Amino acid sequence: MLNLLPLIQNETLKVWKKKRFYVIVLILVVLIPIFTYAQMKMAQSSEDKDWRSKLLQQITDYQNALSSDRIPEEWKTQRRVMVQQLQYYLDHDVNPNSPNAVTFTRGFLDNSITLFIPLMVLAIASDLVSGERTTGTIKMLLTRPVRRWKVLLSKAVTLTLYVSLIIVTTAVLSYLLSGIFFGYHGWNQPVFTGFQVQGSAVDSSQVHAVPQWLYILMQSGLIWFSAMTVALLALMVSVLVRSTAASIVTMMAAIIAGTILANMASSWHSAKYLFAVNLELTNYLKGTPPPIEGMTLPFSLLILAAWSAVSLIVSFVVFTKQDMMN
Amino acid sequence: MSSRKVWLAVGLVSLVSTLLLLAGFGYAVRDLLAPGASTPFRTAEPEPETSPVPAEGYRIVALGDSLTKGTGDATGEGYVKQAAALIEEASGEQVEIINNLAIGGMRADQLAERLQADKSFARALTQANLILLSIGGNDLFQFARTETGSGAAAIEPELAAKRLEEGLGRLSDVVERIREVNPDAKLVYIGLYNPFYDIPELRGGSLAVQDWNREAYRILNEQGNAILVPTSDLFEETIAFHLSSDHFHPNHAGYGKIAERLVQSLVP
Repeated sequence: MLNLLPLIQNETLKVWKKKRFYVIVLILVVLIPIFTYAQMKMAQSSEDKDWRSKLLQQITDYQNALSSDRIPEEWKTQRRVMVQQLQYYLDHDVNPNSPNAVTFTRGFLDNSITLFIPLMVLAIASDLVSGERTTGTIKMLLTRPVRRWKVLLSKAVTLTLYVSLIIVTTAVLSYLLSGIFFGYHGWNQPVFTGFQVQGSAVDSSQVHAVPQWLYILMQSGLIWFSAMTVALLALMVSVLVRSTAASIVTMMAAIIAGTILANMASSWHSAKYLFAVNLELTNYLKGTPPPIEGMTLPFSLLILAAWSAVSLIVSFVVFTKQDMMN
Repeated sequence: MSSRKVWLAVGLVSLVSTLLLLAGFGYAVRDLLAPGASTPFRTAEPEPETSPVPAEGYRIVALGDSLTKGTGDATGEGYVKQAAALIEEASGEQVEIINNLAIGGMRADQLAERLQADKSFARALTQANLILLSIGGNDLFQFARTETGSGAAAIEPELAAKRLEEGLGRLSDVVERIREVNPDAKLVYIGLYNPFYDIPELRGGSLAVQDWNREAYRILNEQGNAILVPTSDLFEETIAFHLSSDHFHPNHAGYGKIAERLVQSLVP
């Protein structure tokens, strides 16, 4: 452990000096105000209306959509679940969309779990190994009197640290930036969680309110888990593929394919064993129906853990055995 | 900044972040798998109504079935939005549609139950001073919900009489319930029409419709502060111009005519 720490320090500094993290922060600083502005415009357009009237209208509109015969059954299920959740908020006199920085952060994190956070993770993970091979610095690294597995372990630990940093930075920045427009309150606003989706019905017997700060903490934890899966897979690809560009493209393709599949593969049941379909862990917290019937939180965690474990094993086996010098 | 300082800062912050996220992850998994541990939500006491009901202007809540929803109007306006625009034009006062709570296919018994059970419905109603209502069409023409069934089940006389009686009982419940929630608002009921007037063997349905409208008028008349807007004559000679392609709901022009009638009887 003691001789691992200098290695981790070395790796952390190498990533830092590549300025990738600055780019991530810059992207966030540009994107978050854009989303905040869009959200603000949306809030303004119906500002004069009471939120209860708006919510009731939304419920009615969903119910009208349900009575149409031409809508696919999965959409109906989703709408039905939405209706019951919104009704729950209305019955308990809680505004689910009250505009404040904490609510914005919750929404932003929720929407970034499938593509945005993985993309930023890839920016760092995809050239951890392949980048060194492109520049040739891998030779200097491996000619040192350190076992190869320790080198890779230090890279994996560094990656974990940066994944955490990315998620926390995203949350903090979206809170700080959106707060300029919406105000920095809303920490204790109640959020309902524990909706159990069974078929097309929602069981609300387990529903309980958590303060919004705790909800965001839970949400970030789940995002971290799925981001770690992406990171470890990217690390494996980065070991296997020599070019950084190829490694980013491979991972991006896999993730995008997963999001598309999640939207259309509800009748292809074995798709649920793909990692990318399981990335949206926060759905279980929100209580939205999973993309494929039969998916549960333990199932998704297991699938993601299995993919992570396999990619770790492959990475270590290949990295310790492979001829890195040419 | 020296490398050592960067390492200390980045390393420490990211280590704390990792621990925090791990804690969040653990808590989330525990909360989702064994939710019994958390405390149930204490319902907040209803806050006092913040917006006092202004004396001027029209505040509309629309209730009922697909007719109020505006099904068949390609512009999506229906009679509610068209009427709101016309009222504003004719009276010069401010008109606000608070909610259009119509749901396609709703029957009078469902609406009565909804008004009874759903306090958010009742809450919306209390804010209105003009309530637009269309209900009963689905009670009387139950068969017409099927896509191809125009004429599949004609209104047989004895069946019609039974439906009429049942439906009117439900309508009476609905009107009573609305009055309980909001005794002061003006209630406007859109009369029924026979969408099959142009099919010779179904023209007799108009008699059932007239019976319905007469009885509906009696119910409204007993309550007071309520009017019935007749529509059946709009869908006789000119039915082809006023019905949409589903041959059941009005089209944009048909809704426009209903809206005109409504304004004629509301605004001097």
